[in-house]
Amino acid sequence: MEVAFGAGDGDDEATAIVARSEASLGTIFEQSYRPWRGELGPRWMRNYAIYRHHVYGVFTGKGHRQYHPMVRLMILVIFLGSLTPIPMLFLSSLFGDDGGFFDKMWGINRYNLWGQVLGYFPRNLCMWPLLTAIVVGGMISDDRQHGTSAIYFSRPVSRLDYTAMKYASVAVILGFVIVFSYFAYYTSAIVFKGEGWAYLSDTLPMFLSGILAGVILVITYTSIGLALSSISQSRFFAAIGFLSIIYGTKIVSQLVEWTFETTFLYVISPYDCLAHLGQLLLGLPLNYEHPVSFSIVSLIAMNGISIWILVSRVSSLEVTRE
Amino acid sequence: MDKQGRDLAETVWTRLDRKAGAIIELTVRQLRHRLSTWVVLGVGIMLMALLLIFYVDSVRESFEPIDNDGDSVDEDGDGYPRGQEEKYGTSDYFWNGASEYPGSSAYVPESYIDANDQVRTIYENKSWEGAAFFEATWIDYNYSGEQWDSHINWRPDDNGEPQLTDCSDWDLDRVLNRISWGEACDMGDGDEDGRNTYYAAGKWRGEGTNTVLEGGFLQWGYWTEEFYVAPDPKEMYINEDGIDCIDLDGQIGDCPSEDRLSGSHGFDDDGDCLAAAERGEFVDENGNGILCDVIWRTSNGVVIGITADYNVDEDLDEQEYTGELGHRMFVIAVGKMAFVILLGLFIPLFLSLGLVRDETENGTLHLLLSKPINRSEFIAYRLMGYLAVSGTYVIALALLVGIVASVLGPGDSIIRLSDLPVWLGIGIATTLVLAAYGSLFNTLGLISPKYGVYICILFGIWEFTMGSFSIVNPNWTVSSVSVSHWALQMIDAVVLMAWPDTIQWSAIDEAFGIYSGLSFFWQPPVHTLGTQSAAVSLLISTVVLLLFTFSFVFVGKSVFNRREIM
Amino acid sequence: MTIAEQKPPAVLIDQASKWYGQVIGINEVSLAIDGGVTGILGPNGAGKSTLFKMMMGRIKPNQGSVRLFGVDPWTNTSPYRRVGYVSESEKLYEWMTALDFVTTLARLHGMTREEATDRSKHVLEFVGLTDVMHKELGKYSKGMRQRVKIAHALVHDPDLIVLDEPLHGCDPIARTSIMSVIRELGRQGKTVLVSSHILEEIERITEQIVILHNGRLLAIGNLHAIRDMLDKHPHRILINCEDPRSMAGLFVSQDPVFGVRFPSEGQLEIQTNDLSAAHSLLPSIVVSSNQKITSIENPDDNLESLLGYLIREAS
Repeated sequence: MEVAFGAGDGDDEATAIVARSEASLGTIFEQSYRPWRGELGPRWMRNYAIYRHHVYGVFTGKGHRQYHPMVRLMILVIFLGSLTPIPMLFLSSLFGDDGGFFDKMWGINRYNLWGQVLGYFPRNLCMWPLLTAIVVGGMISDDRQHGTSAIYFSRPVSRLDYTAMKYASVAVILGFVIVFSYFAYYTSAIVFKGEGWAYLSDTLPMFLSGILAGVILVITYTSIGLALSSISQSRFFAAIGFLSIIYGTKIVSQLVEWTFETTFLYVISPYDCLAHLGQLLLGLPLNYEHPVSFSIVSLIAMNGISIWILVSRVSSLEVTRE
Repeated sequence: MDKQGRDLAETVWTRLDRKAGAIIELTVRQLRHRLSTWVVLGVGIMLMALLLIFYVDSVRESFEPIDNDGDSVDEDGDGYPRGQEEKYGTSDYFWNGASEYPGSSAYVPESYIDANDQVRTIYENKSWEGAAFFEATWIDYNYSGEQWDSHINWRPDDNGEPQLTDCSDWDLDRVLNRISWGEACDMGDGDEDGRNTYYAAGKWRGEGTNTVLEGGFLQWGYWTEEFYVAPDPKEMYINEDGIDCIDLDGQIGDCPSEDRLSGSHGFDDDGDCLAAAERGEFVDENGNGILCDVIWRTSNGVVIGITADYNVDEDLDEQEYTGELGHRMFVIAVGKMAFVILLGLFIPLFLSLGLVRDETENGTLHLLLSKPINRSEFIAYRLMGYLAVSGTYVIALALLVGIVASVLGPGDSIIRLSDLPVWLGIGIATTLVLAAYGSLFNTLGLISPKYGVYICILFGIWEFTMGSFSIVNPNWTVSSVSVSHWALQMIDAVVLMAWPDTIQWSAIDEAFGIYSGLSFFWQPPVHTLGTQSAAVSLLISTVVLLLFTFSFVFVGKSVFNRREIM
Repeated sequence: MTIAEQKPPAVLIDQASKWYGQVIGINEVSLAIDGGVTGILGPNGAGKSTLFKMMMGRIKPNQGSVRLFGVDPWTNTSPYRRVGYVSESEKLYEWMTALDFVTTLARLHGMTREEATDRSKHVLEFVGLTDVMHKELGKYSKGMRQRVKIAHALVHDPDLIVLDEPLHGCDPIARTSIMSVIRELGRQGKTVLVSSHILEEIERITEQIVILHNGRLLAIGNLHAIRDMLDKHPHRILINCEDPRSMAGLFVSQDPVFGVRFPSEGQLEIQTNDLSAAHSLLPSIVVSSNQKITSIENPDDNLESLLGYLIREAS
């Protein structure tokens, strides 16, 4: 931090306040401030400090943003949950069940790669939205509630830096769980099966499309979540708001599909837009009737609106407790 | 006057409900002053408006007649719709169908020689199919078919002599191995009677003596005369076979028949099943020994199951059925998914968690608790205030949607009055869910102001999942460990009470291939204690929800009573 | 009159202790208060609020008992009919008007809406907020908020009024008006408990005090009486005059005076063991000195020095 903000506290040099004279009726103090003339740390370093503050907090509560132990536990459970295919792959390689049940359920193929990131149950029903909700909930709303935004804005940190670093912190935590678990799944499949270069070159494009789908999912969830956090006064409302958007739109469009036999309304559901785009990226048969371009446009719109809300809200954030 | 000198009208009871009134009013006003309340309730209204828009849209277009059995198509392009082809027993499928059409010449098999027959020689002028040594008097070189029909190509030259492989000096094994299906070879005229002998495998027409080898097979028959059948318009095969019921006098009438509910019903109006019966095909899928009929099964005067033979009553009039089915499905689906699961879960998450917890955190609780009001009373009145807002909202919204939908819905009257009890039931079921979740979330917020939030979110996901499972399969025991399950059961029961014929509609939906989804969204209530009575189920579900609510109010109360307030 | 029929005191605290883990909030405090205005005095963290919260049934004493009008407030809410409590919490329902606020809380006493409105108007007039009672509380100044809080505590005409730091954060004008309200309540014969850590505030309201420090009861009774009990400590008289040194000469020869000091220019401090004897000497010496005296003060006869002595005593 010292380097990041580029400021020593100045105690080692002249005292700032000097008593000039002692009068019987009172004392007037001579005010002499010593301007700081040091070198300001580079911008990326200051920004990195913000980023580090949030991301390291997942691992340690000391000196970084406190994540509730319950939240940390939940992140851990979700992370382990997203790694379940790996022990299955291990078992599969142990039993030598090639092309059998385990291989079909957990082996590398288009469906399983898609499912690792975009499958509905349990990943997009129970895991990713919950993860996003608990991570993103207090990101900005806590600063608003406790007035801690002043800590940032009274330093040489622009609001853009602040927003971008909050965004990056959330995206990295989500990405760690979602994309990293996907990566681990793919790599361990190759390791356990002892696959060679040919297999790698066959499946790599698939894998990369899956990564892309995962990154888009992380970005979309982060945008929506942070936008909600920036307009909420408490972390809880942001979290519940996020879950109601994800589940609410999903269930409404599902209701409309089941009742009126049209998949069109799925464009309002972030999850379904992502799943639709993911199917396109991974070359799976699309199981939505509307064209995939609708989903792409919808995703762009969701991200655009969320980021717009986020930016405009942060730029008008009061530097006090609200 | 009591002993403290107060009027009887001024006893603890009147004071109690004045206090209740004050706290309820305070709660309502507090909720009214929160932006999130308005957002949540506004989103609920928008959601219902959206669903109604879709409903209006579907009402406008979905009553177009639908060809449920798919027989109005002409896949093979011979000009005859599939329904007509089926009546004549010809194929409408692309690969071989174009040559088969009503009135087209058809092969009639007459007899055969199979592996066990003693006499293995036959002289006839027929169409043959099989493998034999054919000593030909006459061969129809023009008897042809598609390549994969295995008609033998005789390759006649200009003189009318077939040009085939000479196999006269081959041994028998070689002949059998080399000549494949759809081919023939020339054995020469061994007996020098002027008639050449061929080994033929496949289909051919001609006059002569056929000698079938031991273990071989040959059948023969003739082709009927072709005649002209006027093609029917495709429209004839849409809605051409409606649901028929037969009353005691044997007259075909409305369904279900009023005097004769159960038994064999149905009439194959378009004749596709009867035609199949005539051709000798199996047309008694429901296994009651009566061909081409529909079995209606009843219990307590209600139709509970329908099994139809294939192609009987399979293409009904949408105007009559889909409208009603679709409407019921809309009511049930909206009630279950939009009201119970969505509104029922998210309204309490937003509105009830902070009922007491927020007062503690804000420090305004001191104001209220310095008044002569018991803490348990306080919790109860707070919940009542929250229910006054959310319950009124939900019931009003349900009735509003209900009125709009019942005006738009199918039926002769302007408004479907029988819908309104269902909507009211949906509103009440949702209110009970709101109460149950409200008391639970409020209690969790009290037990653990910090962790409670996360427990609520986890619980919400559990409820969401179990609610979805409950819709699909209410019999799954695990799903009954959730609040939403019981509310969904309430709706199932209310639906059955307001529309007792829903079981019948559901049976019709499945039996006659409408697949409107009614049987997906609605199944008869499960928890009837073996009475099969909707009222019992309704009562049980209500009691379970109320018990849940009260037990969590009680837990909240005992936690709150012991809580020291800083 | 038998003991059973005797009216229980408004507040009776018997050997009550309250601790939070290792920290002791209230340490074996016994107290009976009935009638008049009593100031509860002590520095921050002395346990004043804890004592009040215990009295109001917010927290339960770990040991001992608390009774309001003979009833345990932790298990029974009935004494609150006769108690008005102003908590230290600053939060109010910001979106309500003062009248609304007081009326709503009045209805929790079981009043009808009309009754509550009448009573609320009455108490708002009593605390001097009639002209602003239709304004939202969010727009109120701190002093007004304190007065609204007092109003809601008075709305049911309680016999016991507990005020936790009612003067906290108020400007002098608000302070004066709140003080006069409290004094008026005392005159009406109510039992009033006022806590404060600012000593002159209490001094201006009442002479009956309870002093708390570190959760212990340090002293109870009349301010001056307590002071007199601490006679072994020297008293001081501070005189502002033209020539302190010549004046000092006149004093040192007198018997009750055992020392003089000159704390600053133009000031004379006389140290004595017998304050009343010293005071009776004062006029004649002043006259004989023939000097112009600008002021005579007893710097010790205020709560601050009292507390100072008592704390030193206790530790």
